[in-house]
Amino acid sequence: MTDLTPIMALGGQSARTQILGALTLSETPDLALASLALRRGTVQPVPMGLPLPGPGGWTAGQGVSAFWTGPGQWMIEAVGRADTGIEQALKHAAPGCSVTDQTDGFAAIEITSSAGGAPIRALLEKLVNLDAAGFGPGSATRTGLEHMTVFVIRRSEDRLAVIGMRSLAGSLWHAVERAARHLQEGTQ
Amino acid sequence: MTRLSGGLIDRGTTLNFTFDGRAMTGHPGDTLASALLANDVRLIGRSFKYHRPRGLVAAGSEEPNAMVELRTGARQEPNTRATMAELFNGLSARSQNRVGSLGFDLLAVNDLMSPFFAAGFYYKTFMWPKAFWEKLYEPMIRRAAGLGSLSMLPDPDSYDKGFLHCDLLVIGGGAAGLAAALTAARAGAQVILADEDFRLGGRLLAESHALNDAPATDWIAQIEAEFASLPNLRVMTRTTVFGAFDHGIYGAVERVGDHLATPGQNVRQTLWRITAKRTVLAAGATERHIPFANNDRPGVMLAGAMRAYANRWAVSPAQSVAIFTNGDDGHRTALDLAAKGVTIAGVIDTRAGARAQGDYPLFAGAVVSDTKGRLGLKRIAVTREGQTQWIEAGALGVAGGWNPNVHLASHHRGRPVWNDDLLAFLPEPGAVPGMVVAGAANGQGSTHAALQSGAQAAIDALAGLGMTAHQPDLPRAEDAPVNQAAFWHVPGKGRAWVDFQNDVTVKDIKLAHQENMRPVEHLKRWTTLGMATDQGKTANVTALAVMAELSGQSIPATGTTIFRPPYTGVSLSVLGAGDTGTHFRPRRLTPTHTWAADQGAVFVEVGQWMRAQYFPRAGETHWRETVDREVLATRAGVGLCDVTTLGKVDVQGADAGEFLNRIYANAMGSLKVGMVRYGLMLREDGHAYDDGTCARLAEDHYVVTTTTAQAGPVYRHMEFARQCLWPDLDVQLISTTDAWAQISVAGPNARKLLERVVDGFDLSNAAFPFMACAELSVCKGLRARLFRISFSGELAYEIAVPARYGNALMARMIALGADLGATPYGTEALGVLRIEKGHAAGNELNGQTTAQMLGMGRMVSTKKDSIGAVMSRREGLTAETRVLVGLQPVDASARVAPGMHLFTEGGAQNTDTDQGWITSACYSPHLGSMIGLGFLANGADRMGEVITAANPLEGQSAALRVVSPHFVDPEGGRLRD
Repeated sequence: MTDLTPIMALGGQSARTQILGALTLSETPDLALASLALRRGTVQPVPMGLPLPGPGGWTAGQGVSAFWTGPGQWMIEAVGRADTGIEQALKHAAPGCSVTDQTDGFAAIEITSSAGGAPIRALLEKLVNLDAAGFGPGSATRTGLEHMTVFVIRRSEDRLAVIGMRSLAGSLWHAVERAARHLQEGTQ
Repeated sequence: MTRLSGGLIDRGTTLNFTFDGRAMTGHPGDTLASALLANDVRLIGRSFKYHRPRGLVAAGSEEPNAMVELRTGARQEPNTRATMAELFNGLSARSQNRVGSLGFDLLAVNDLMSPFFAAGFYYKTFMWPKAFWEKLYEPMIRRAAGLGSLSMLPDPDSYDKGFLHCDLLVIGGGAAGLAAALTAARAGAQVILADEDFRLGGRLLAESHALNDAPATDWIAQIEAEFASLPNLRVMTRTTVFGAFDHGIYGAVERVGDHLATPGQNVRQTLWRITAKRTVLAAGATERHIPFANNDRPGVMLAGAMRAYANRWAVSPAQSVAIFTNGDDGHRTALDLAAKGVTIAGVIDTRAGARAQGDYPLFAGAVVSDTKGRLGLKRIAVTREGQTQWIEAGALGVAGGWNPNVHLASHHRGRPVWNDDLLAFLPEPGAVPGMVVAGAANGQGSTHAALQSGAQAAIDALAGLGMTAHQPDLPRAEDAPVNQAAFWHVPGKGRAWVDFQNDVTVKDIKLAHQENMRPVEHLKRWTTLGMATDQGKTANVTALAVMAELSGQSIPATGTTIFRPPYTGVSLSVLGAGDTGTHFRPRRLTPTHTWAADQGAVFVEVGQWMRAQYFPRAGETHWRETVDREVLATRAGVGLCDVTTLGKVDVQGADAGEFLNRIYANAMGSLKVGMVRYGLMLREDGHAYDDGTCARLAEDHYVVTTTTAQAGPVYRHMEFARQCLWPDLDVQLISTTDAWAQISVAGPNARKLLERVVDGFDLSNAAFPFMACAELSVCKGLRARLFRISFSGELAYEIAVPARYGNALMARMIALGADLGATPYGTEALGVLRIEKGHAAGNELNGQTTAQMLGMGRMVSTKKDSIGAVMSRREGLTAETRVLVGLQPVDASARVAPGMHLFTEGGAQNTDTDQGWITSACYSPHLGSMIGLGFLANGADRMGEVITAANPLEGQSAALRVVSPHFVDPEGGRLRD
């Protein structure tokens, strides 16, 4: 184990969390990410027992989940495994595929609602040009958010993840926080 | 004036407000307009050109006259229509466009000079002397002709934006819109109902007609209750759909907090982008007036507006009111006002056979030909069969028919179609894909017709989506036929206003006709008719009719008028709808940003990135002092610089080598595993595109680096090539720019420093030579990548670790390298180091240069094909003689500036004798003078020649000696040591 101390994408030693009304925003620590792309002639794998989702989809398995990012391409997520070498593990689990470690390429903001799906939908409407009503649990897509490229995942009725480029983590957090704050104020 | 009976105001609550400093009161439910009428205010503003006294004309968003400045301080907002300003406690409003008081406006003198301000006067007057325009005429006109004023302070409020998607968007919450929304929502469709008013109902609120023998508000309340129970329906009041854009996208502004005294921390307005599969346009209709002499006095207004004020807001502009009409609709107003106790001084009906519908004096076959009353209407002249009589009236309601609100149906250039029965332009069917028009907006203006057509429009719209909807049980409603006779203006000598807001009269239109400005488009620009902030909502069709009469053509033959977005004014703040300061645009931070900030680094914007520009130390008083130190420390010991911003693209697959052979001008397929090669990409047209390094980590795995500026475009270019040009190749691409913190370690002590962080990795020249690369671990087990590449000309490496460890690695290396002179350097020093070494960067790769010009012509391989290779061999490019050279001043103190052009010493300096230009320049602490890189004609053959660099614009000139671009270690021995 290295003796260097990592920092979070938002620059802190620990993950940032903020509660705004019914919504809780949290920077996800230790989320391992790896991209998976099929090579020519490769049969679509079921890595780590995880059936890979189709276009616009996200599926979760035991400790790992995946979302579709393009034809024959997925991002594999593993919470709490940032330093466990997900690239090697995935290469082993998905032979004949191109695998690239993306753990440090992105920053994830997890958003949970204490009041069901309505605040999540209201937040989606303020953030991204998606049909919030049609973006139910299990949906994932790549879209634009305040001039940034992001992945948006509806993990459940009351849970949303916004994953953006790590270098833009501060701007992304600001955009999500601003929208959540406006929603909170609008209901007061 | 006391309030009339009834109305939709809450008399139990009193709201205080001021107009021009005068304290007044109103009630919730009032607009500023209705409250002003209730306080006996008829004179509200001054006109644009002539500074004529003006009052309310309308009761809705079409209002041309009653524009005020709302609020104070930084929130002061000019040109707010009093009819759209919802009254709140503490509201402060002021009249605008006046010099002096509203009652005595000094610029009213313009009115006396009106003969000079005729149509086209801008084009005819002020032509001479030319110099007077900017200093005298324009400021004078701008002062005199105006609207409200700006606070000149930053907007203190927050604005928001959002995105909505629906099956059906219903625009307008009147009878037709309510029926459409009800029908569609009951069918289970996702529906948005938007209305610009703060209350649903549209004209139902303004009329006295019953629905199912009860007040219309009972039915509306019942519908609203049902709406609240339908989760698939979103009702948006105070929301103006202002534009119909492509692919079913509509722009809307929700005035979230405009009706509050201070929006505070809350959002004031939200810009919504609505994507609708289908749309029902139920925007209603706008009544038109009939121009006659002096028809612009406060008190002369639209008859339908007068009815709205009486029925909805329980106010009348005067105790004694006359009506001027060309149809039955004017009589409605007379009946409604009379029922509220207002005296009807007379109904003047242009139709000879008209009959009174109640107990009031009727002047059939008559017209209003003039008015009196300086600051407000006092008398009207009624002319019948050549005989004129004056009648006392404090207000006159004018009913000239209704123009359907076709605006949004015209946003895709749909041309409204004239209907002779209705005397109106109707929307062109199908003009906006997916849009169905219903109700008065489609000429179906009776309440019954509006309800029925609204429901039917929803059924038809949903049928197009494969959804079945059913006609709801709609209430019984009035269904009076349209009885009117075409009548467009009262001929006469005096000025008769057509466009109130831009002060355009019938005479102006006549003049335009006389001067052959007859096409509608010319008429509009010659007279400025319809070009005011109201886009001529109450003027355009009337103007067209007047022009038709003058030209002896029918109205449709004369032309038609279409509209552009926005339907009503949209503030720039809400169009921005976001941050204006630090977060105006996203900022990318490097992995060592926190560390650099702690060191007191000065940052510079590089595209979206914030990069450390230099690291000043105590005692350093000038940025160059710092930069010189950083450069010298790097060349003497070891310098560290965060170079994460360079783009990184992971290239994998069996055909990765072949793919890169085609992308790069030089060969990459032959690169050995564990080695790096400099690479140059060309554009399709043969010019240089981008450069960087390409490292081969495995047989089927490369890492490509790009310049910072081109990281995105190059990745996109590669994806395009992969997906569209060569889909047969087995290649997978993904960006890893952000994933790795990459630090340049440069200088004679670079190896010694790195030996202290790598985990037992042999860095000797034999084991890890120049241009080697490897995957390894550092700092006791952290995965890393090491590349032996140099941008500075020194022994140098770039080390990459997972981004979250970048900060710690930088701090560790600075600490471990203290005895080796480890010094952080920023982008300024980076620039100096690369100019001293003669490396091309963005300044040299500016899209106009070629490999040949960069001195890399032979890098474009002839043994294989690659993007741009063939085009780079065309005559126009190969004949180019300018090549990259180094430039050193003859006088060491001379200044060398990028952008200077190069000329033969002593020769003429013009475009014909131009021999190139300087791309980059800096002060070189190594040489003790400024140096430059530039492209010079036949430069390779002119080493040692003294040339002139000139900046004729600023009179600068310097004598420069042409030298090798490699100012430092031209043999390249240092980087191979």
